[in-house]
Formats: sequence, C-alpha cells, structure tokens
Amino acid sequence: MSVGETSLYQRFGTIQKRRVLTVTGLAIGLVAMLALDLWAGPAGLGFGDIVTGLFWPDQLDLRPRIILWDVRLPDALIALAVGAALGLAGIETQTILDNPLASPFTLGVSSAAVLGASLAIVVVPVVPLVGETAVLPVMAMVFALGSGALILMIVRWANGARETVVLFGIALVFLCNALTAGLQYLASAEAIAQIVFWTIGNLTRAGWIEVGLVSACFVCVLPFSLRHVWVMTLLRGGEAHARSMGINVGRLRMWVILRVSVLAAFAVCFVGAIGFIGLVGPHIARLLLGEDHRMLVPGSALCGALILSCASFLSKALIPGVIIPVGILTAVVGVPVFLGLLSGRRHRA
Amino acid sequence: MTVFGATGITAKYGQVTVLDQVDLPILNDNEVLGLLGPNASGKSTLMRCLSGEKSTTGHITIDGRTRADMGHDGWHHRLASMPQSPPNPSALLPTELMWSTARALDLDVSDRELADQIEGIFARLGLSEFALSPLHTLSGGKRQLVGLALALMRDPDVLLLDEPTSALDLHWRMVVLDLVRERLSDRGGVVVAALHDLDLAARYCDQIVLLHGGKIIASGGPQHVLTPANLARVYRVETRVTLDCDGRPLVQVIRPLRDGEAA
Ligand SMILES: Nc1ncnc2c1ncn2[C@@H]1O[C@H](COP(=O)(O)OP(=O)(O)OP(=O)(O)O)[C@@H](O)[C@H]1O
Ligand SMILES: [Mg+2]
Repeated sequence: MSVGETSLYQRFGTIQKRRVLTVTGLAIGLVAMLALDLWAGPAGLGFGDIVTGLFWPDQLDLRPRIILWDVRLPDALIALAVGAALGLAGIETQTILDNPLASPFTLGVSSAAVLGASLAIVVVPVVPLVGETAVLPVMAMVFALGSGALILMIVRWANGARETVVLFGIALVFLCNALTAGLQYLASAEAIAQIVFWTIGNLTRAGWIEVGLVSACFVCVLPFSLRHVWVMTLLRGGEAHARSMGINVGRLRMWVILRVSVLAAFAVCFVGAIGFIGLVGPHIARLLLGEDHRMLVPGSALCGALILSCASFLSKALIPGVIIPVGILTAVVGVPVFLGLLSGRRHRA
Repeated sequence: MTVFGATGITAKYGQVTVLDQVDLPILNDNEVLGLLGPNASGKSTLMRCLSGEKSTTGHITIDGRTRADMGHDGWHHRLASMPQSPPNPSALLPTELMWSTARALDLDVSDRELADQIEGIFARLGLSEFALSPLHTLSGGKRQLVGLALALMRDPDVLLLDEPTSALDLHWRMVVLDLVRERLSDRGGVVVAALHDLDLAARYCDQIVLLHGGKIIASGGPQHVLTPANLARVYRVETRVTLDCDGRPLVQVIRPLRDGEAA
C-alpha cells in the first residue's frame, strides 16, 4: 500500500466514529427534548422550577411538586419508554422479516391491543371482580400477547416464508379492526367515544407503575437485541448467506418475533395504539446511521423516543391550555422529519 | 490434507424428490469438482445438502467425519459455501457484511487483523474501491464477488461455490477460478463448484459430475464426461467437442435439439 493511502481499518473506523457521534447527538437531543417536554404544560412551571423540583423536590411548593412528579414526569417518561420500545421493536421486525413496511403494527399486535381494550370498555361494567382501571391495560396486553403467540405459530408453520408472516399479520390487523368495529356497533355512544379516545393513543393515562413496567420490559429485551446485532447486520445481506454460514435463521426469527411482540404489547397496552413510530423510527435511524445494527438498534430506540417525546411536547405546546392526544401528533411530527431525510438522501445520491 | 466424500444423497421438497441417491466421487486434497447440469437439475439443492443447510439422508464426510461427529461449529469451521444468489442490494456496506459475518461466527481475530484480512480479500477480487459503497450501488457482478469474498473469509478446507461466475465478465470469471486454484495449491483443500460454463469447467475442474433430474448421468475427468452424447442427453444440444493442445475438451454448441430429436 502506498504512503498516504489510508487502510480500510482507518476508513471504516472514521465511518464508525461518525456514527457514534450521531448516536451521541441523538441521545443529547433526547435529553433536551425531555426537558422541553417537562417544561411544557398548562400549569406554567418555569425551567427553574423544573430543575429545582427534579433535584431538590422538597424546596418546591406542594402544588408544582405534585404537578411535576405525578403528572409531568410520568407522562414524559412514558413517552420515552414507549417510543424506545416501539423503535426497537420496529427495527428488529423490519430486519428479521426483511421488509421495510413491517412493524409491530403490521404484525397485528396493536390492533389486537385495541380489540382487547374495546372489549374491556364495552364489557367491563359486567365484570365486577377487577378494578376498572386495571382491566383495560390488562385486556389490551392479553390480546396483544395473544396475537404475538399467533404470529409465532405462523412463523413456525410458514417455516421460512417471510411474506406469509407479513401477510398473516396484515390479515390479523383486518380481523381485529373488524371485530372492534363490531363491538362499536353494539356499544353505547359513551363507550364508542372511549374506544376512539383509546385508539388514538394518549400518554396522560400513565403513572409511575406503567412507566416502570414499560421501561423494565425494554431493559429486559435490549440485552437480547444487542446480543444479536452481528447476526442481524449479516441478515441485511440476505438470508441465503446467513443460512449458508450455518446460522439457524428460523430459530433466530422465532426469538426476535417473540421479544418484539412482548415489547410492542407492553408499549401499546397503557397508552393506546400510538402508530407509526415503530415504522418510521427505524427508517430515520437507518438514514442517519446506515445498516450496522450495533448503531442501528440503539439509534432506532433513540429515534422512537425522540419522536414520541417531541409529539408529547407539541401536544401540550401547540394549543395553550389544551392537551391534544399524542397519537394524532406522532405522524404529524414524524412524517416531515422522515421526508426531509429522504429528500436529503436523494440530493446526495 | 482434506478428503471430502458424499454418498447416497437424497433430498426432497415436501413429497417431491429432487435428488435421488447421488454419489459424488471422493475428492482428495487439491481437487476441484465441477457440478454440471441443466436448470432445475438439483445443483443448488445438492450444494445445500453438502453444506448441511438442508437435511438429507446421505453420508457426507470431511476426512471421514460427518457433521454430527464434528458438531455444528466444527463443521462450519472447515466448510464454507457461497449460495447462488448474491448478497441483497441493501444499504449495507460490503465491509460491514464481512465484518458482521466474522463477528457473528466468533472468528478469533482482532479488529485490525480483521480489517486487513477483509482488505486483502477485497483487493484480490477487485473490490477495494467498493469496500465502503452500499451494496445497492454495486453492479450485479460486483455483488456476486462480495458473496465469494464472504465464503473465502473463513478460509475453509472445503469450499462450495454455487455458480460463482454466472454474473462475471470474461476477465473476472477467469481471475476468480484462477484464485480458487491458486488457493488450493497454496493451502490445500477441496472445491465443489456448480457451473454452467462448460469450457470453464473443462479448464478448471479435475472431475466433473453431470446431473440430470436429480440423478448422476456421468462422472469422471472432463474428457470422459463432456462428450456429445452426454451433452445431447442432458442439455439437449448438438455439440462438437474437440481437444485442445493440453488434451482438454473444447465444446462448441451447434444448435438446440428439438423435442424428441436425437443428436
Ligand atoms: N425451496 C424449494 N421448494 C420446492 N422446490 C424447490 C425448492 N428449491 C428448488 N426446488 C426444486 O428442486 C429442483 C432442483 O432445483 P435446484 O435449485 O437445485 O436446481 P439447479 O440445478 O440449481 O438449477 P439452476 O441451474 O437453475 O440454478 C427444481 O425442480 C426446483 O423446482
Ligand atoms: Mg442453482
């Protein structure tokens, strides 16, 4: 090699460093977004109050303290947890099914959650045993996990045919939507309103328990995802090559779909069907970071969290005094960012 | 020293038998076996059976030991295969593909060694300038070369190549097969290559197996297998076969045979 020509090691290292910087940038952006999200809201807390309240809560008056700790923080943190979970679930689904349109939603997980929640809303008055507030998320969770189990069975049965899995997932979406519509047809106007509200997706229902559960689920799943980053990167080169290396792609697919379903079920059961993040978070991360899953897995989780946090901020800041359900805003925030990145990519190409 | 053997290979997709009791000749160190046969004759299926990817009832051994004897990792440590399809045209960089493969397989090399190794393989395959270009920007032939680089990275004793040169131009198909031969004389090992190019097969293979409808029609040295009668039967073409100055058959295809017509 001639002098002045850099080795592949150095050139590849430069690319990696740039990507680490991008991930760091995303993380810093997320902290900033979290601060904004905590600050925004109808009660008019200043930035100073927020900082004081976070680090020295006893120096803050009771009212702002309660607003911060019981309303703002859980809402802001559930946005991060749900966004990160959906981002992670999205990237893993897209890679393992080798389909850019795949996401936890096209697997039917969230439609099943909506069906479960609707059932809870319509039928709950009849079931006296359990507390009403707990029934809704539990039913959503049970249905979401049930759809995950169905998908797993299909993965096993289809034995390698990825399209079958995607198609079955979409069929499941239609089935769940039809059943939900059926329930709505039978339900009272009040129940319908409640179902619609749930379906839109809303962060304000979440408290610390929900934050803890979703975060715990994310933290439990993440190490498994990180353990598979090399194989998942390799899979982007095609399943045939992975198989020819002796990698058991079928078993990998089972594991990935399993953890993705659980993650998505936890993410949607408390906040409703917040769509879109599981689809676009990964794509934004991919445009920024390339295909290396060492960067893409954390990057996608960060992008998911960032979008939802931004949407949460806007839901409070857009119309002063009104909290718009965040589900309405996720796409409104995500689409422009996504299109911007896409067109940037086109100019460079 | 590597000796590779495969006997009694039967493979099915569902109820359909696509390979019926195929026996390959024993391959000794330094030998290249060419696998010839028309489309859908079962070459790729046989390759997948040999690599262990597809289950088969046959008996496949490296130095007398089967995959069950060696264990999954031990087997794939000695054998690598290049599938027929080139890597997907995703945004993945060839270097990333090589790198993640090495890491996914737990190859025991430092980052710097790995990078140098990848750089060396890419240089030999003319991929240096594409090392950091997304796969979807590479031409079909270059992507096929990346697939070959992937198989070479493990430095296997048994190398299975499924149509390694089908997308390559005149220059690169010879470079690739030269490289494969050179590698054998440097380090030993055996190669099984499925090919559609009869002249390349005659030139580079020590033995040739002619596959047709999942059965072996002929096997042996190129001059014994590549005869007008065999080619007419299997490929349904009329050919003229002459011997070049090294005694290797040169096949000139005259015309396709019509249904029911004998050569
Ligand atoms: N996954 C599969 N499922 C069902 N049948 C298959 C599958 N793969 C191959 N076959 C069938 O097995 C037979 C052999 O196919 P194979 O791919 O091994 O042929 P080939 O000799 O490699 O052909 P080509 O020269 O076109 O690559 C064909 O009849 C094909 O239709
Ligand atoms: Mg083939």
